[in-house]
Amino acid sequence: MKKIPIPIEENLGRGHLACAGCGAAIGMRLVLKALGERVVMVFPASCWSIIPGFWPYSSFRVTAIHAGFVTGGATASGIRAALDVKGDDETLVVVWGGDGGTFDIGLQALSGAAERNEDFIYICNDNEGYMNTGTQRSSATPLMAWTTTTPVAQPKENPKKDIMAIMADHQIPYAATATIAYPEDLLRKMEKAKGIRGTRFIHLLSPCPPGWRIPSEICVKISRLAVRSRVFPLYEIEKGRIYTLQEEKRVVPVKEYLKLQGRFGHLSNSQIEEIQRRVDESWDRLQRKARC
Amino acid sequence: MTKRMTFKSVSEMPEIPISMGFMDWNKTGTWRAQRPYYVDKTPPCSASCPVGNDIVSFIQKIAEEDLEGAWRVLREENPLPGVCGRVCFHPCESRCNRSFLDEPVAIHALERFVADDMELRKEKVKREIEKAKEKVAIIGSGPAGLSCAYHLARFHYPVTVFESFSLPGGMLRMGIPPYRLPREVLEREISLIESMGVEIRTGVTLGQNLDWEELKSFSAIFMATGAHLSRALGIPGEKRRGVFQGLEFLKKINSGKKVTLGERIGIIGGGNTAIDVARSVLRLGKKAIILYRRSKEEMPAFEEEISEALEEGVKIRYLVSPIQIHSRNGLKRVECLRMKLGEKDETGRRKPIPIPNSNFFIEVDSLIIAAGEEIEFSFFPKGWERREGILLTQRDGSIGVKGLFAGGDLTSLQRTVAHAIGSGKRAALAIDCYFKGRDSEETLRQILIGEGPSISIFRYLHPDERPMDSHIVRFEELNMDYFEQARRQKESKLPPKVRIKDFREVTSTLPSSLAIEEAGRCFSCGTCNGCETCYVFCPDASILKREGVFLREVDYEFCKGCGICFTECPRGAITLKEEAK
Ligand SMILES: Cc1cc2nc3c(=O)[nH]c(=O)nc-3n(C[C@H](O)[C@H](O)[C@H](O)COP(=O)(O)OP(=O)(O)OC[C@H]3O[C@@H](n4cnc5c(N)ncnc54)[C@H](O)[C@@H]3O)c2cc1C
Ligand SMILES: Cc1ncc(C[n+]2csc(CCOP(=O)(O)OP(=O)(O)O)c2C)c(N)n1
Ligand code: SF4
Ligand code: SF4
Ligand code: SF4
Ligand SMILES: [Mg+2]
Repeated sequence: MKKIPIPIEENLGRGHLACAGCGAAIGMRLVLKALGERVVMVFPASCWSIIPGFWPYSSFRVTAIHAGFVTGGATASGIRAALDVKGDDETLVVVWGGDGGTFDIGLQALSGAAERNEDFIYICNDNEGYMNTGTQRSSATPLMAWTTTTPVAQPKENPKKDIMAIMADHQIPYAATATIAYPEDLLRKMEKAKGIRGTRFIHLLSPCPPGWRIPSEICVKISRLAVRSRVFPLYEIEKGRIYTLQEEKRVVPVKEYLKLQGRFGHLSNSQIEEIQRRVDESWDRLQRKARC
Repeated sequence: MTKRMTFKSVSEMPEIPISMGFMDWNKTGTWRAQRPYYVDKTPPCSASCPVGNDIVSFIQKIAEEDLEGAWRVLREENPLPGVCGRVCFHPCESRCNRSFLDEPVAIHALERFVADDMELRKEKVKREIEKAKEKVAIIGSGPAGLSCAYHLARFHYPVTVFESFSLPGGMLRMGIPPYRLPREVLEREISLIESMGVEIRTGVTLGQNLDWEELKSFSAIFMATGAHLSRALGIPGEKRRGVFQGLEFLKKINSGKKVTLGERIGIIGGGNTAIDVARSVLRLGKKAIILYRRSKEEMPAFEEEISEALEEGVKIRYLVSPIQIHSRNGLKRVECLRMKLGEKDETGRRKPIPIPNSNFFIEVDSLIIAAGEEIEFSFFPKGWERREGILLTQRDGSIGVKGLFAGGDLTSLQRTVAHAIGSGKRAALAIDCYFKGRDSEETLRQILIGEGPSISIFRYLHPDERPMDSHIVRFEELNMDYFEQARRQKESKLPPKVRIKDFREVTSTLPSSLAIEEAGRCFSCGTCNGCETCYVFCPDASILKREGVFLREVDYEFCKGCGICFTECPRGAITLKEEAK
């Protein structure tokens, strides 16, 4: 069997505080492997304010700066400017923000930076909720999902915000979706992003075992099912216009994805059908975008 | 900096909150509620291979394009891979987990491919040094005898094989026709066994020109005389001229003797012998009609043989049972009854029931009866226990008389080449234990493949290498996310018209490119092949590598027990168990 080739360096050291089976920890490990040493990581508040460890320790083997919740885009812009002043155009600036920090509270800073086409990579680590503070809804939480603020009696009424479309409309040079079950794809997209200047956006879906109410051992499997069910299609957008859609060979009904997750445990069959209908619609929309 | 640190005063602290050390002091292994560990398990193919071939390992070597390695792995268990790759009915494939996804891996074709590789055969086989003083006699040079001899030679015993026929091979030479097993293949594999130091004395028949007294100089004897008597039908007329016995017929033509036959040949029976007789008859330019008393489903002959026979033009008449053979003007008139199928019998096949007054006649020029083979017991000492026409043995081949062991067709109703080879192996092991004063039953138990009865000689010789849990891997334990459907490679066959011109081999060996592709279809059930999937997905970097080399080791200091490695492993080579509280 062919091996999945990944760089050997471990820049996320052992002893970190992520929950067992944390999807984002897999994502971080892979992303840091792809980024190499010459990088400044910016962390607006999220699980990743906690996971690396507490002062005076950190598991990161690369430079990392913790920033205010709203400030991902702004802090990164500032660091980039400082490096430029120093004449260092080799060091990469990379933001790693949560979905709350990206879709919601940090959207303004990100939008501003993207409009200026600031030269950094922004990774939105999407676990579909405010997980660090105990699983509150965010605008990335899927329709009808349970969170502590959208209880089963009143699950989330609004669909997930289409952050990729928002970023595309900023006409940034590169935006891509990725998820942990496809490490080669993630590494490829990171490499591609590294080779481009300007604002690059990676929407990384990372299942969260406690928040999604799934057993830790199926974390990667869920990530794969998100793609196979087309709940989370893999695609790239260049210059805000050119869509490249990655067709999945083994497509499964959304039910396969939903039924394994406690946060969807309350759904009736008709609700599942409704979700399926919307997933099909979004897929059609994406295909149309990819065609023109 | 991986240790915890303490500051005695504020002045020791940095001015801004900057990290000064790593988190490696935080042993997250203490969080763990479940523990993953690597343990190779038994693939269903090996568990059902009567020889005990290490199928995963040799296929893995082919996939890595290490054919020499594949050859070495095969020969750890089996001295006759070229024979088995051709004539074994491959029960391994019937149990192959791949059949749940698409079609089983063509294990037999791969075994044959390795055995046929020209380059490998150039390798000199080293003569085993006969250090041991105990000599072993083997009676019969069929697959059971040859396999026992081979493994005993590897254990360094001087071995002499006595064979009554003028050439060694048993049924491989006398029964199985060359269009299925070319004689060069057989000879090549036998001569490899001989070059290890095994002496084969042909033309020596125990009970005729060799007696039990002469065998006293041997410290142990392995009996593998097979089943060579043709079973009679017990109907009037079967002793007439022009009525032949199936096995006798095959023995004659397989040793180049002429048999005078008419044009239309009737063959009675539904086993492998009947099919081989019929297909041989076609190759002599005659017509062959098989008469069988049950239907196709119940035929004991192997499925593929039946379809090849039909392709070539053999006619089969089902549900007919001969009750008398008449002769008129040199013609044989076979009086038959039509049959219907009743309840299942003890073999699990539906019983044929005669339909009263359905008598009819079939006219043929010659008749060959192939109703099965029985054992010749005449030269056996009295008191050897037998039942249902076979000699009774323990699992290790011992027959209850000190120093005497038996195997192959003589001791089994599962009469196949692979079972014979397997029994020869078990006896070789038992003989080694007997000489060394070891408990052979206990030794056997330790090297069983799955639940047995097959054993691994490799594990006997190398107890610490390639350990294997006896758990047989089920399809559900594999992770199909990592496999896609892929067509099974087929060996090409000659067109039927060409086949029946002579006794040339029907099927050809897979070309190397297709063999490597086919090897890539194997899931490697339960056996880690170092794909590193576990390493890639561990969120805690707790699957270890040293200097870039995958160690197949979990770092329990940090592993949090998430179980992702267990779930993602494509082949079930990791087990997850609850951590002791
Ligand atoms: C026509 C035919 C086709 C078959 N096809 C297949 C097949 O395709 N696949 C398969 O798996 N199985 C097949 N079989 C079955 C298979 O050949 C036997 O199960 C297998 O050969 C048994 O091996 P053995 O070593 O026990 O005995 P044998 O192969 O029968 O060898 C016994 C040997 O002992 C010798 N011998 C007997 N008595 C004495 C004595 N007193 N002194 C010295 N030597 C003696 C005999 O001459 C013979 O050489 C076939 C059988 C027949 C008859
Ligand atoms: C201005 C501000 N408000 C609230 C918080 C508390 N807070 C810290 S992390 C977090 C949730 C972050 O959610 P998300 O961005 O999705 O990241 P995740 O924790 O899910 O990785 C919140 C609300 C804060 N640090 N700053
Ligand atoms: S897939 Fe490979 S290991 Fe599994 S049963 Fe088939 S041949 Fe054996
Ligand atoms: S993936 Fe890593 S942390 Fe999870 S159980 Fe396996 S070794 Fe332990
Ligand atoms: S995932 Fe691959 S390397 Fe890891 S145990 Fe399974 S087979 Fe071996
Ligand atoms: Mg979040």
